[in-house]
Amino acid sequence: MDSVNIECKPGRVFGLLGLNGAGKTTLMRVLSTTLKPTSGNAKVAGYDVISQPEKVKEKIGFLSSDTGLYHRLTAEETVSYFGRLNGMEQNILKKRVDEIFERFDMNEFRKRRVDKLSTGMKQKISIARTFINDPEVLILDEPTIGLDVVTSRGIIQFIKKSKQADKCILFSTHVMWEAQKLCDDIAIIHKGKIWEVGTLEQLRARTGLNDLDDIFVKIVGE
Amino acid sequence: MNLRKVRIIYFKEMLETLRDRRTLISTILIPILLFPILMFGMSAVVVTMMEKTEAEATRVAMIGEEFAHSFVFTFLEGDDFQKVEVEDFESALKEKEIHAALEFPSGFEEKLTLGENSEATIYYDAAELRSSIAAEKLFDKLEHYQDSLVAERLRDRGVERSLLQPIKINEENLASQEKMGGFMLGMFLPYMIVILAMVGAMYPAIDLTAGEKERGTLETILVTPVSRLDIATGKFLTVLTASLITILLSTASMSLSASLGFAQMSQFSSEQVPFIIKPLPIILLLLLMLPLAALFSSALLSVSLFAKSYKEAQSYVSPLMFVVILPAMINFIPGIELNWGLAFVPIVNISLAAREVLLGTFRWEFIGLIFVSTFIYASLSIFVTKQLFEKEDVLFRT
Repeated sequence: MDSVNIECKPGRVFGLLGLNGAGKTTLMRVLSTTLKPTSGNAKVAGYDVISQPEKVKEKIGFLSSDTGLYHRLTAEETVSYFGRLNGMEQNILKKRVDEIFERFDMNEFRKRRVDKLSTGMKQKISIARTFINDPEVLILDEPTIGLDVVTSRGIIQFIKKSKQADKCILFSTHVMWEAQKLCDDIAIIHKGKIWEVGTLEQLRARTGLNDLDDIFVKIVGE
Repeated sequence: MNLRKVRIIYFKEMLETLRDRRTLISTILIPILLFPILMFGMSAVVVTMMEKTEAEATRVAMIGEEFAHSFVFTFLEGDDFQKVEVEDFESALKEKEIHAALEFPSGFEEKLTLGENSEATIYYDAAELRSSIAAEKLFDKLEHYQDSLVAERLRDRGVERSLLQPIKINEENLASQEKMGGFMLGMFLPYMIVILAMVGAMYPAIDLTAGEKERGTLETILVTPVSRLDIATGKFLTVLTASLITILLSTASMSLSASLGFAQMSQFSSEQVPFIIKPLPIILLLLLMLPLAALFSSALLSVSLFAKSYKEAQSYVSPLMFVVILPAMINFIPGIELNWGLAFVPIVNISLAAREVLLGTFRWEFIGLIFVSTFIYASLSIFVTKQLFEKEDVLFRT
């Protein structure tokens, strides 16, 4: 991919809109430092993704529909593990885990193994894992894909709450109504390029169309 | 490298590995149970067969019995043989009605009493174990009969029996009890342990790499503030631990079942096989296995990290198994001794050295060289694993 120039601010949800294979996942992997860009650069929470990947990773929470959970760990073991990997001290971690299990209403299955849980419960654990280190930046790669209505609603609410908590949220989707409902800024990505960036209002003004579906189709020209 | 993070990863991987049924079977259950089952299964088969053979009389058909009255008379004295009347001995042998047939030509005994020579033919089926044993017994019986004839003829001519045997050959086994024990174990133990070191590492290695890719957990750990080197190290140490557990368990299990099993079998052997294994060879053996386990662990991690799924990893690892089994079989080839060249061939060197260690005939310089060379191979392999963990096109191969 090339010519990607975007900026995502705290307290806002930045939507990355594109068809499957447009380059959303690649861009998000570059931002979460798991892929190195062949050229160009990016800063996350003030840190350089190429020269300071460890610093970047301390500041981000990453969640995608592809990310799974360790089946043979319990809910609590899973969340604590990611806390420890984030360098959290035992006493702080314990408090944080209690708080998160309370907040996401997960105490009922706290000691149960992940492979015995329902999809919704697993999704909660995934969110809890993403959130354990209270990241400044959330990178969410199509987090609702393939989920049932109740579970994906849970994710949408989680994004809204994070926005209120002044997090910077980068959210990719190919579901237009999700973007329309959630995003403050929208970038349209197609064939590895950003074709348009702006608020929903700005995009409406530029295209003269109201629905994001129509706007999207007009911009990518297909 | 951040040791704290490596430790966090190691303990979590160990916890998960110990909760994996596949790993528990291959790492713990198989090494514990394989040898007792093999040993006792084998000796039980031998014992039952021996007992059966001893209990059951050997059924023999006699052809031309009328020409060998006195032989047949002595022949039937004990319970060992049972004479069976058959129409056609060949089909009787095929139908297993008889174990063997003995044929005397006409005038057999007459000729012998006249001091002439004659012949006798044993018919048997070499593809049938019971038939072969029967043929041997018949042969012994005839030889015994022949011996008494010879003695008689010599006596008639006034010749001493000892004239036929100017040299009395004595044999004495000078191998120490320790060496006898080592000889028994030396062939199988290195082979089995080398293979089990691989088997024990196999499932954890696949599970921690391809398995994680398949379940989508690898990416979750890549986005945590842990370096790839720490992740690779934690995983490597987990796989190595599994392999070492397998080695320890199988060595203990095999030494124990071997001493018990041989004791059980030796009641049917004419020589007593005393069986002693000393601690030093076992400790040396385990030390030699350490770098080999590291080599296997990193090689398995590299291969299965490359795979996209558990199944794919399994299909890569299976051929690797043969790469290990063939050199591990070196001890089955008679006459191959450890030398400076072979000391550098991975797996072959350890297998040969392991046998010599168990026999108590090893040379320290070879042991040192093999340890160091295997250690170098393991280091190279670990380096490759580390490089692969840095490669995005391997980690995100889809």
